[in-house]
Amino acid sequence: MHRRNFGRLLAAGTLFLAATAMMPVPAMAQAGKTIVGGFDVGPGGFQGNFNPLTATAGFTWLNTYFEPLVIYTSDLSKLTGALASEFTVGQDNLTYTFKLVQTNWHDGKPFTSADVKFTLELAKNAESGSIFAARLGDIASVETLDERTAVVKLSKPNSAFLSVLSQVMMLPRHALSPVPLKEVAKSQWWSTQPIGTGPFKFVKYVSDQYVEMAAYEGYRGGKPKADRLINRYFANAAAAVAALRAGEIQFTFAEPDDAKTFKGNGNFRIIEGDSYVVNYIGFNHRAGIWNDPRVRQAVMYAIDRNAIVSSLYGGAAKLANCGYVAPQLLPKGLSDYAYNPQKAKDLLAEAGWDKINGDKPIPWLTYYNTPQVANVMAAIQAMLVQVGINVVPRALDVPTYNGIARSEKWPDFPLVYAGLQNGPNPASLNIGLNAAQIPPAGNNIMRVEMPALTQALNTAMGETDPAKADAKWQQVCKEMNAQLPWGPMWVASRYGVVSGKLRDFFWTPAPAGGPFVSHPEKWDIAP
Amino acid sequence: MLHYILRRTAVGLLMLLALTVLIFTLLRLTPGDPIDAYVNPSVPMSAADLEMLRTRLGLDQPLPVQYFAWLGAALTGDFGYSIQYNGEAVLPLVLSRIGPTILLMFSALAISVVIGIATGIFAAVRRNRFADLSLSTAAFVGISSPAFLTALLGLYVFAVILRWVPAGGMLTPGAPFSIGDLLAHLILPATLLSIGHGALIMRYMRSSLLEVLSQDYVRTARAKGVREFWVIVKHAVRNALLPVITLIGSTIGIAIGGAIFIESVFDWPGMGLLMINAVARRDYPVIMCATLLTGACVILVNLLTDIAYAAVDPRIKVA
Repeated sequence: MHRRNFGRLLAAGTLFLAATAMMPVPAMAQAGKTIVGGFDVGPGGFQGNFNPLTATAGFTWLNTYFEPLVIYTSDLSKLTGALASEFTVGQDNLTYTFKLVQTNWHDGKPFTSADVKFTLELAKNAESGSIFAARLGDIASVETLDERTAVVKLSKPNSAFLSVLSQVMMLPRHALSPVPLKEVAKSQWWSTQPIGTGPFKFVKYVSDQYVEMAAYEGYRGGKPKADRLINRYFANAAAAVAALRAGEIQFTFAEPDDAKTFKGNGNFRIIEGDSYVVNYIGFNHRAGIWNDPRVRQAVMYAIDRNAIVSSLYGGAAKLANCGYVAPQLLPKGLSDYAYNPQKAKDLLAEAGWDKINGDKPIPWLTYYNTPQVANVMAAIQAMLVQVGINVVPRALDVPTYNGIARSEKWPDFPLVYAGLQNGPNPASLNIGLNAAQIPPAGNNIMRVEMPALTQALNTAMGETDPAKADAKWQQVCKEMNAQLPWGPMWVASRYGVVSGKLRDFFWTPAPAGGPFVSHPEKWDIAP
Repeated sequence: MLHYILRRTAVGLLMLLALTVLIFTLLRLTPGDPIDAYVNPSVPMSAADLEMLRTRLGLDQPLPVQYFAWLGAALTGDFGYSIQYNGEAVLPLVLSRIGPTILLMFSALAISVVIGIATGIFAAVRRNRFADLSLSTAAFVGISSPAFLTALLGLYVFAVILRWVPAGGMLTPGAPFSIGDLLAHLILPATLLSIGHGALIMRYMRSSLLEVLSQDYVRTARAKGVREFWVIVKHAVRNALLPVITLIGSTIGIAIGGAIFIESVFDWPGMGLLMINAVARRDYPVIMCATLLTGACVILVNLLTDIAYAAVDPRIKVA
């Protein structure tokens, strides 16, 4: 064979190989009506966790097969019954009576008040690995009046009790009681054969790939319209968005920049919602440089928050002048800390900033690792340096951030850019602001010690009457606005993107994934 | 000989022990622990709840106590339970991830060897012509392209825009297993992983073949009237392959590193994805087990090599 012919033969062979490798290769199709989503993507998700007692997030997915006694409504405005058909709070503000719905577990056994007692006792016992143990510590007893009635008695009034209860998924006593208490958390039951009362029942978990559910035909709300529900796992939100564009999944959480790219695309629907997370500049009150309130005020006046929200959030964020943005929690007469760099300079001069810190660099930590937050922090850095505050942003991964912020090394984190859940239950902020919550007792990592604020928080926490509670939380807001334990910034929107193929699908970017009323049994998919 | 083997085995075991101490210490020096990784800072979690969790996992114990507890259990084959994977036993979890990584790595290696050698031969045969220049340029681009760029670009073009292949994962969720489905998910990550390696092989093959083609014995073969095809295949390529084979063997490590990255982009459930997730979530038991197994493999291979050398070369025993 001539050298040229040999070359041609090789070229043809290589091209054939390359072409074969790049030929479209169809993946297997799923049978029946199958909805696939990235239900655990984003801050509300918790991939790989199947145990609701150890869940810090991921309740959107958990709620497709487990159910709590009470649950937030779709707009997260109030609590309503889930496995409790009705619930009442006694005059003493200590006795909660739950009337239960008539339903069965996925294995056909009836759900009864014995299951409620078993679940609550398991959840309040730290030996089970439950992360609700401390938050349910006020439960004095759980009584079962009959199969359909459970009574919970608290040792002291707790306005957050029902809200905490909304994340406590009811568990089957008959299936879990044989498991030794200390083995509950690491039991394989959760990821191999869990049974709940929700519209879908567990089929299988393929490690790091997906979780598959099948419709539970006996669901009390009617047989689900979809035959199967699949929760696909992704290493990050961008990978989930790629799968959504490729038509492999029908829903995912999306970062704001990704969500924007779907605008005007008729094949998708963008869901925008309140994140219920207030972003703030956290002053470490033990760092010694933020003690003077004029310095904290100067930080607020130095930042043009309107410009940042408008240019970097595209308007999709609400300015916060305290920990809350919900109108019913905002009293009249709050200072808006409108952008005024000259006032900031004057306040710093009055406080003697030159002697307190001057232009020495101040490490500014965050656990947010998105381009959007990097831009926001860069903009704030530029604004603060104009008035003489020299901050140096530093993005860390979550464990590193938590490790530093929970330590006692004040110089390592004099300032943070962080967020804290501020709703739907306003009591969520208590843990980060109440002086009694300073580590190791609690999670007030910025070591805020303001007696008037603590008093306002304690008063609000003890108010279980929803009609009176708003006024108490307004007082908390007022104290925050005046004393600036943090520099409150904004509450940004979060996004989900849904394929146009999905029908009657409901999702909202609730903190920790909810749970909220979403009726998974009504979710449908066009052929 | 027996004394030598025993001595080398003892050294290997000591190295393994030192490795466990090193990994354990380094892990504890990194800021944050599994509980810090467990909790989203935006979610209000009480410190009491976190401490209870920390106590349950034994993280409140002094470090030497934690280490010896781990070592004692590991010696009996119990590597504990994963913190991130819902209490899954660590050893079966780690072992289950070796298969997908080997599949991805060797598929990529096969593609890179076939394409690299074929294009290398073609470029050498067509030296300094358009095809050679084009392939050499493509190889340079392939070698210089960072894996994160080719992986993301490939994912976007072939999975999102063209929709030729799935956008990640190893099998279609919820579909019955089939070889075709596996191949559909494998082809893109394996091809992308093969790019750098294949380009390197192509360059080596080309230069090696060019050198061989100028040898006297090749000229003699041609002078004897042997057809060009057989001159290249039978006489030149076989000799030119020797340095390329050495290259392929010595760069398998690069393929492992690339596989770890590709796995995280394509959600390929192998050792790479497992390790990346474990480090991000400070899943100490998984990190310890995975690195220990990897280290044990390396030490074992070295040990076997030393023993093999000793068997064939008596001077080593004396040394």
